[in-house]
Formats: sequence, C-alpha cells, structure tokens
Amino acid sequence: MNQLYLFATLAGTRIAVETREVEAVVKLTDISPVPGMGAHVAGLSALRSRVLTVIDVAALVRGRPTPMERRVFAIIADISGHSYGLMVDAVHDICQVPEGELPLRGQLDAAWAPYARGLVEHEGQPYLLVSLSGFIEAGTVAQAA
Amino acid sequence: MDELLQEFISETQETLEALAGEVVAWEADPTDRDRLDAIFRFFHTVKGSCGFLNLPRFERLSHAAEDVLSEIRADKRLADPATVSAVLGIMDRIAELAEAVAIGAALPQENDDYLIAALTEKEASAPDEGEAPAASVAVARASGGQSAPRTIRLPLSLIDQLMNGVSDMVLARNELSRKLRERSGDPELESAFERLSTCVADMRDAISKTRMQRVDRLFTAIPRMVRDLGRDLGKRIDLSLEGGDVEMDREMVEMVVDPLTHIVRNSIDHGIETPERRRALGKPEAGRLKLEARQSGNQIVIEISDDGQGIDTGRLVDKAMAAGRLTPEAAARMSEAEKLDLIFHPGLSTASQVTAISGRGVGMDVVRANVERIGGVIALDNRPGCGLTITLRVPLTLTIIPGLIVRAGDLHFAIPRAAVVEILHDNNETLNIAQVGGAKIATIRSIRHSMIDLEDVLGMERVAQSGPRAVMVVRSATGVPFAMGVSAVENHEELVIRPASPLVMASGVYAGMTLPDNGKPMLLLDAAGLANAARLPNIIDDHAARRAGEDEEAQGGVEMVPALRFEEYSGERRLLKLSLIERVEDIDARLFGRSGGRGFVRLDGRLVPVANGHHAFSEEKVAALRLRDGAREACYPVAAVLDIVEMPAVPDMVAMHGLLSGVAVIDGEHLEVINPFALFAALPEEPVAERSGGRCLLADSEDGWTREILAPLLRQAGHDVVMGLPADEAVDPQDVVLFTGSDASQASELLGCRIVHLRATPRPAGPQDSSIYRYDQDALMAALAGSRR
Repeated sequence: MNQLYLFATLAGTRIAVETREVEAVVKLTDISPVPGMGAHVAGLSALRSRVLTVIDVAALVRGRPTPMERRVFAIIADISGHSYGLMVDAVHDICQVPEGELPLRGQLDAAWAPYARGLVEHEGQPYLLVSLSGFIEAGTVAQAA
Repeated sequence: MDELLQEFISETQETLEALAGEVVAWEADPTDRDRLDAIFRFFHTVKGSCGFLNLPRFERLSHAAEDVLSEIRADKRLADPATVSAVLGIMDRIAELAEAVAIGAALPQENDDYLIAALTEKEASAPDEGEAPAASVAVARASGGQSAPRTIRLPLSLIDQLMNGVSDMVLARNELSRKLRERSGDPELESAFERLSTCVADMRDAISKTRMQRVDRLFTAIPRMVRDLGRDLGKRIDLSLEGGDVEMDREMVEMVVDPLTHIVRNSIDHGIETPERRRALGKPEAGRLKLEARQSGNQIVIEISDDGQGIDTGRLVDKAMAAGRLTPEAAARMSEAEKLDLIFHPGLSTASQVTAISGRGVGMDVVRANVERIGGVIALDNRPGCGLTITLRVPLTLTIIPGLIVRAGDLHFAIPRAAVVEILHDNNETLNIAQVGGAKIATIRSIRHSMIDLEDVLGMERVAQSGPRAVMVVRSATGVPFAMGVSAVENHEELVIRPASPLVMASGVYAGMTLPDNGKPMLLLDAAGLANAARLPNIIDDHAARRAGEDEEAQGGVEMVPALRFEEYSGERRLLKLSLIERVEDIDARLFGRSGGRGFVRLDGRLVPVANGHHAFSEEKVAALRLRDGAREACYPVAAVLDIVEMPAVPDMVAMHGLLSGVAVIDGEHLEVINPFALFAALPEEPVAERSGGRCLLADSEDGWTREILAPLLRQAGHDVVMGLPADEAVDPQDVVLFTGSDASQASELLGCRIVHLRATPRPAGPQDSSIYRYDQDALMAALAGSRR
C-alpha cells in the first residue's frame, strides 16, 4: 500500500488527498465570480484554454467564504469530465505513506464528518483523508437545496 | 481477449444501427440482393466472431437468422413481413445482449427460443399477411448508394484532448503575437510568425472538422421507427430521406435526435390518416413523410413534411379555453398563426386521446424547448387537411453561437442572440416601466411584458451608472417573451460555448460558458432559466390587446420600425429599414468593380450588384450594407454606419424621388429615408452571377500582355477568363474568343463563336480591319457586351 498522498491545509485543518485525484496545484490568478450561486462556488478561472470552476472548500465545510487575499492555491482535479479548482490554504508535501489509510479515531468535528474518509499519518502528524469528488458532490447538493 | 470482445461489441452495435434502415428498405423491395447480402453478411460475421469469443447466445441467434436468410437468398423462401419482423426481433435481441456485455451487466434472461421459433414458423403467420403489407414502408434515399470513405476508430477523449491542445496553441500564439508587437519589428521574425499563425489556423479548422458527422446518423433510426409505428397503427407510410450527407456537429446530432423522433412520431400518429380515411379523402393510401436536411449558411435546416391532416387550430383554441388559459374574447381576436402557436404551450395537444405513441404529456412544448436550448428555431407550416411541414433550424455546431455580451453589476454575461427580440434604452419613448407591489411591468408599444433586472435575479449589487440602462426583450424557450434590464449591451460576438460544470448548471440560469480572448471566463445566460428563477408568470400574452392597442396607435400614434442611420459617401445622412439589412461588413475595396455601366462587388465567388453605383474608393476597406429582399441581394457601400434608431414606418414627409421615399425627423435631425422598393427595382434584372457566366477565351495565352494586362482587366469586369483555346471541350456559343495575333482567326471560326481581334497599333491596318486597338477599353468592353447578345 505505497499510496502517494498530497498533504495540504484546508480551512485550518490538515488534510491528505490521494494523488490520483489530483491533476496539478496552481496559484490562482483572476477569478470571475458566478452570481446566483452559493458561497462555495468562488467563480470561474481560466487555466490556459481550460475554464476551472473554483470551489471555495472552506466555505463548503465551515460555511464562511475565504477572504479574497487568502485565495491563493487551488488543487486542480478533473471530476466527471469537468475541471475544478479546489481552494486550499497551503500545500505542504507529496509523500508515500507505507502504512496507508487508517480508520478515523476520536470525535470528529461535525462540519468535517461528511468529507473525512479516514486518517493518514505523515511525519508523526495525523491528516484527514478527504476525497475531492466528495466536495464536488456535496457542492452540487448544496446548490440544489 | 477483453480488447477483442470490446471491438466485437462496438462493431456489432455500429453495424446494427446502420442496418436497421437497410432491413426496412429490403422489406419494401425483397428483390434487392445487395441489401439482403449486407444483412446476411452481418449475421455471418457475428456468428463467426462469437464462435471463438464464446458467446453462445449470440451464436445461436445469428445462426438461426443466417439460416433463414440463406434460404431467402436461395429463393427457397419469400421475405414476407412476418419474416422481416422476426429478423428485426433477432437484431434487437443481439443489440440488447451487446449492450449488456458492453456495460458488463448480467445478460438479460429472456427466452431466445421464442424469437427463433418466430423465424422458422412461416406458415402460421400466413393469416397476418392480409393486413401486413399495408404496413410496409417504402424508403427512398436520395443520396443513393455511397461508398464509405476509409475511416479509423478513435476514442472521443483523444479528439477532445486534441481540441484542447489546439486551443492552448491558439492562446499561446496570441500571447506571442502580443509580445512580438511590443518589440521592434524584425521582418524575418514576423514572416516566420505569420507562417506559424497560418498553420495554427489551418490546424484549428481541421480539428474542428473531426467533430462533424453526417446527418445520416440522425436518420438511421427513422426507417425502422416509421415501419414499426406504421404497423402498430395500421398506416401506410412512404418515407423519403434526403440530404443525409450534410454534416453537422457530433453533439448537435445527439441533441436533435430526440426532437426529431418526437416530430416523426407525432406526424405518423396524429398527422397521417388511416388508409381508409385517406381513400375517402381522395388522397393516396400511403401517407408521404419526407425528411430533408440541408445546410444554409451556418445553420442546418431539417424539414419534416407530411401530407396528413395538419393541425386543427380550432381544436387547439377549444383546448386552451377549456384549460382556462385563454378567454373567448382573446381567442376570437387571435390570428391563425397565433392559434397555431398554441401547440407549443405545455399541456395542449390536438390528440383527442392519449395514445401509446405520442401525446403522453411530452408535447411540442418540450420539442421547442429542446430545439431552442441548442440555439435552434422551430417553425410550422400548417396546411389544414393537406399536411404539415415542420422546419428545424439549428446552428451548425453547438459550440459556436452568435451572442450578445451584456454588462450587469460590473460583470459580463453572454446571451444567445437568437433569444433576444429587441433592445431598447430605458429612456426610449416607446418604453414605459411601471411598478406595482414589487413587480415590474414594461410596456413596449402597448405590449405588456413582465420585467426583471438581471442584477436582481442573480442577487448582485446594482452599480450606479450615468447613462441609460438597456432593456432587452427576451424570448424564453417557453415562448413567453419578457423584458430584462441590464446595465448595457456591449458587443456582438461569435462565442465558442463550452459546457459549464454541473455545479454551475445546477443554478438553472446558466446555459454554458465561454472563454473570450481577454482570458476572463464568461457565463452564457439561459433565457428560460432566468424566467423560471424570477418566477415570472407564464401567461399566454394578450396579443389581442396589443392588436387593439395597435389599432389605436395607427389612429393616434405612429408605428415605428428600427432603421439604420448611416452616412453616404456624398455626406448625406440617410436611413434604411433595418430588416432589409442582412449584415454590415467591411469589404476589401479591390473587390469592387464595374461592368456594363454598373457597379458590382465580388463576394463569396458571386457578383453582387452595388445599389448606389459606387465602385471606386480611396480606402482599403469599405463599410458596406448587405441587403436582401428574400431572393436577391445587393451591396450598399456607405461612408460610415452611425447607429440604429426607431423611425416612423411612414416617413414624416413623403417625397418619392429616385432611391428616396421621403424625409424622417429623428432626434431633431432631418434624414432621408431610402425606398427599398426603388432600390431593388433599380437592380439589374437577371442575377449578376449568370450575367458574368459568359467566358472569355484568350487564344494567346503565352503572350505576356494577354496574361498580365488583358486577363486581369476582363476578370475585374466580371468575365470568366480561360487561358488558351479549349482543346476538345465544347465551346459555348456565348463564349468570346480574344486574340492578338492573326493566326488564331481560323481556329475560332471553327469553334463557331464570336471573336474579338485586338491589335497593338492605334490605327487600323486597313478599311477591312475590324480589330480593336488593345488599349481602347471602351471599345473592347462594347465589343464584349455586343457579342454577348
């Protein structure tokens, strides 16, 4: 189980993402807002000739939109044929974790419960293992509601 | 093994799709060996392949079908409708099995024996035969037998990747060009860049062609469906398909399939009558159903016409009234076209009872919504008792549509141009906006529209602005127009539309997105979605009231029409009715020319007359209005296009004189109004393209003067120029042969057409010399024109 993980900080929480979900990490430039959408849709951004739908993941989890000046990094993912950029606070490392995914322990914050799949340990620190497509699904549900 | 299986399945599915039509055609003409062979070959291939792929059910089915078909091939058996149905049944089952294998589902457990038995028991089906032939469908394909070009199979993702790659390349080129412009010009570098630029553009064109598909694909399922429906309903249908070789965007084909299927179903179910009824009406027993596709500009036109009973508008009105959607008074004042339009309102159908075929609540409203969603238009031509023609016009590709760029709350949005009926400024006199209980009502020339502001619908802040806001009349897919206020309408552009992510689409107000050259993504608004989001009432508008209002207006007020204000070369400012102008274009001044005393311009390989006679310009580019009266077109070069204004339909002062019909006062300025009637009446009678059809054969094609000076002159004057005498090609008596030497005269006399002899000296050689001095242009032109007659 030598799975590669991307370690990042999102809404002040350490998270890990399986690298096969990740296409790239970019610095965000202009974001054109999409009015009429929930706070979790930060807008559209052009990456060369592709248009990314930028998701403010922190807004999805915590319900508070990220202030403009902190919209810096985004993880690019291709989910069911569409390109998304998921905003994160910081990206730390990409590493193999020999022991792989561990079960969740302790009482998880209710806000994170829908997204956390397990734990991954890296340099002695636990990281919440999340799935990017999980955020997109949750975003779609939030929009429909 | 897996790969082999995949290949087998996809090939089988593809062949099945293509074959369904063939089987039906074969039924109509059982003697058609080619079709029979094609079907036989299919089963044979399937049988052979599944032998080593270990698919026993496929094998058994195809084996049974092959047996029957080989009997028919050996003339031991007739291809009666029951047999054809059984063969079709087997094909359906094979398709189901293939589908199941493809998605890895368990094979449907159904009894194949029943199908095989249906194939073999031919005697038992004999009693059916009495009615069965009544259901036969004759299929005529105008395109005829075509040999398929060599093709390979490619995954779609690869093509998409290629498309993206090319788009990236175009963006990179644009950036490079910007950078190059900033630096000092190095001609060598620039020409290299030019070359790269051309290559990229060519490549983009080629790649976009990979997205094209023949309309045939759209038609493949139709013959089978028509046959089955005809049988179910006991109707005879004569189906003809035309224009299958027209190409359209792959995605577009997919979007049109459903509306088309629905229209065909409707036509068979409600349109075409039963054979008995048709006989009673004096029509041929077999109903005619014709599907025709053709390309017209950047649109694909698909026409579905039948000779059935058409739409009973009276019944539509009754239904609408019964449903409480229409008052009797309003109905009484409706025009025929408005009554017909009711068919597009949800929940109204002329079918007196709901049948299994159509009329299941999915009506023409859905068809129209689907067609309009892809930027298409649907039109009806109803001939009660004689038939119905439905015309679908859809853009050539789904990805490029003409759109308007609007600004609202500091953001830019695109809206399909087809959805916008009219644009006004909110300080326009014909517009009156009233507010009551939070609702806004815009009254434009006595028509009341629900009004919304885009900022409110999208929950944006409204930005203060100094100028007037723009109000657009938007027609949503449901057919009820509404007024929408925006900060400004900024631009008109061809937009490359791509789908937005489901997250964004879920909001319901966006139809897609586009990436303009400035690199800032822009959203495409969905007119129907906006109306829904704003929860606008969906009332059948009181057209009647409008008419009443118009009557009043005709007495009291003035009917206004949109017109283009422009400046002539002579400096006058004039008006021309906007509806006549197809578009405004910058045309290369070199394309203008003069022939036979009239100005012409060479456009898209045709000669178009110039309405105001200008043909020489000092600029390189000339702004020109392209006019069209339906059949003929004309070009009207102007010094400048000023703006679009509302002008009275009848000029304030009527003064018919030459091209002018009078003078209108717009914003305190007196403007001459062009009389479109006089304008088109003054054009040469015969189409110019044919007029120039006469060819000039240049006998001395080796001669430098002929080549470099004479030929360009003739071409400019609108003649077709052929170098040299045609060796063995027939010469049209209309052709004119020009020669400069003396030896060619015998040859041209043999050819039997007019000749013009040019000489190099100003003076004639003698009294018999009928030649023309080669620099005497007027005489030359006169000689050419004279010989034309």
